Amino acid sequence: MHNAAIIRFFNGKFLPEPRGWRRRNPGVSLLYCFVLVSVCSVAALGGCSIKQMGVRASLPMMEDGMEAMNRESDLDLAREAMPANLKMLEGMTYSDPDNDALRIYAAQGFHGYTFAFVESGDPERAKGLYDRCREHAAAALKPDALRQGYESMPLDELQSRLAKSGQSDVPALFWTATCWAKWINLNLDDVESVSQLGRAAAMMERVLELDETYFYAGPNIFFGVYYGARSPMLGGDFTKSEQHFDRARELTGGKMLMVDVIEAQFLDRQRLDQDAFHNRLVSVIDAPDDLLPEATLINLIAKQQAASLLEQEQEWF
Amino acid sequence: MVLTSTARKLFCALVSIAPLLAASSTQAAQTYTLKFATLTPQGTEPMNIMEEWGRTVKEQSNGKLVFKFYPGGIQGDEPEVLKKMRFGQIQGGGFTGYGVGRIYSPARILEFPFLFRNNKEVDEVRAKYMPDFETGFRKRGYELLGWSEVGYIHFFSREPIRSLDDLGKRRIWLWQGDPLSKAWFDAADLSPISLSITDVYTSLSTGMIDTVYATPLVAMALQWYTKTGYMTNVPMANGIGALVVSRRFFDRLPPDLQQLLRETGRETGEKLTAVTREDNRKSLALLEREGLDFVLKPDDVDQGEVRELSEQAATRLARKNYIPKPLFDETRELLQEIRKRSPSGQPGG
Repeated sequence: MHNAAIIRFFNGKFLPEPRGWRRRNPGVSLLYCFVLVSVCSVAALGGCSIKQMGVRASLPMMEDGMEAMNRESDLDLAREAMPANLKMLEGMTYSDPDNDALRIYAAQGFHGYTFAFVESGDPERAKGLYDRCREHAAAALKPDALRQGYESMPLDELQSRLAKSGQSDVPALFWTATCWAKWINLNLDDVESVSQLGRAAAMMERVLELDETYFYAGPNIFFGVYYGARSPMLGGDFTKSEQHFDRARELTGGKMLMVDVIEAQFLDRQRLDQDAFHNRLVSVIDAPDDLLPEATLINLIAKQQAASLLEQEQEWF
Repeated sequence: MVLTSTARKLFCALVSIAPLLAASSTQAAQTYTLKFATLTPQGTEPMNIMEEWGRTVKEQSNGKLVFKFYPGGIQGDEPEVLKKMRFGQIQGGGFTGYGVGRIYSPARILEFPFLFRNNKEVDEVRAKYMPDFETGFRKRGYELLGWSEVGYIHFFSREPIRSLDDLGKRRIWLWQGDPLSKAWFDAADLSPISLSITDVYTSLSTGMIDTVYATPLVAMALQWYTKTGYMTNVPMANGIGALVVSRRFFDRLPPDLQQLLRETGRETGEKLTAVTREDNRKSLALLEREGLDFVLKPDDVDQGEVRELSEQAATRLARKNYIPKPLFDETRELLQEIRKRSPSGQPGG
């Protein structure tokens, strides 16, 4: 399996293409390779290394593999194939650290692998992997001041900087906030981690404004959890949570099963609504495997997680 | 069958104790499930400590007493949890002063505004009152297993509060349905704005309120601090917490399990207090790093004025039978004695 498999994992159609490349057209890709190599050969004098040329030349070839992974219907194959590819992808970031598209792919890959195959069984290991996911995504943040200071600048300053970000900043902001929030959630026993949640939420708030559809309505799913996973006495808001989950379902045409799984896991459980929890998860399990062919893998993972959550129903309710 | 005299005696003895053996084996087989609800979120250190409590009890009771935890307010807010305890749907819970006030309100003397200056004072007074509090809880149908804290409660404000007079200029939030804070604000002739805790963040954003009170940890976790530039050095109170089970459940337990629950509950409370104090200390440092200005030092507070306000608040609370006046007076005397012994205590220490 190719590195590209990782890249499309959890990606769907919303990930912007790497700069300057066209999808699934080998002829065009080869032409681009040639042009790029030629350009880089000239530009090498201006800083484009052989390694960077290699990395950039390989980016378009990832596309087919990405699509194949996203359509993968064998979870074991996906689980076993991803780590080596993640390492290779990460190695490419060493060669071309300023390649934003590559960074976003790496962030997505680490997030997808950790979320699907690591977090539930080994939360300690998941912490480190989510942190790496955030580091890759944050490396693509613009401008430099935001990238260097997003963890420490006062929240109002962060918000005013975020207000200047635009559509092209969405992937870096989304993956930084997503992986950061996942990391915080696994480090709630540390006060300092909890103190960072406001920043992650501010980042995602901006993504919600810029593109609420990004990554299968990811910003809406984020805020569904943000408001739904805690008691009203601790700042939760079930109505807002429900609105975000409903919106995510609407934006994905009800075909992204993970929306339902996450709503059951967080909002239904927090509300102690056993019927909603049960029915939602059963309907996920009963849904056709190919409900959304281009995201078969993520829907299969959703089904697997639904079954796992149902096993805990008696304990939780 | 011919039995010797000794064998006959032994046989008779065995027959006579058989029902007892049967009873005890029934009891040995009996297991108890303690459904325990708390607002403390899953994954936080205090919740980890409570879960460890559950594991210890299960292990030491050989599986006869098993906890089932409902963290993060899953079972509803504290009044809702108490209602469920009364109906027997759940058997225990961890409560803040808000919930404790609905069980046995005199215990809230420990978080009376501006009364205690440091942890040492709180610890000494609490130790003295514990037997009375336990009795008080028991009379109301609850068993007090352990005592904990949510930590020192400070004012967070958009404008600096440099004196009690400044408080009068602020639009202060009042936790809806909290008689203790209301009595104190009334005594100070303040007109706080009563809001549910869920509306605080939004109301700080819109400017409906500009001052809230919370522990550093809560102010940070709920991000209230992002809307307020100042925090008072002098805490308003030391927020209390309690680990409680219903007597309906507790009285059904055999004595060994009652003792186990009491002992481990007390230890758990002590661990919770220690970790909360540490977390709040860390939170203060983080808030400082976030750029909050700390105002209102102990010397800025007119102790005579505070004493007068507290007296008035105590009178109001006594009138409502919330905290008896003699308890308030006795606490003040105790504190005077403690301060004579160690006069250097600073607030929040």
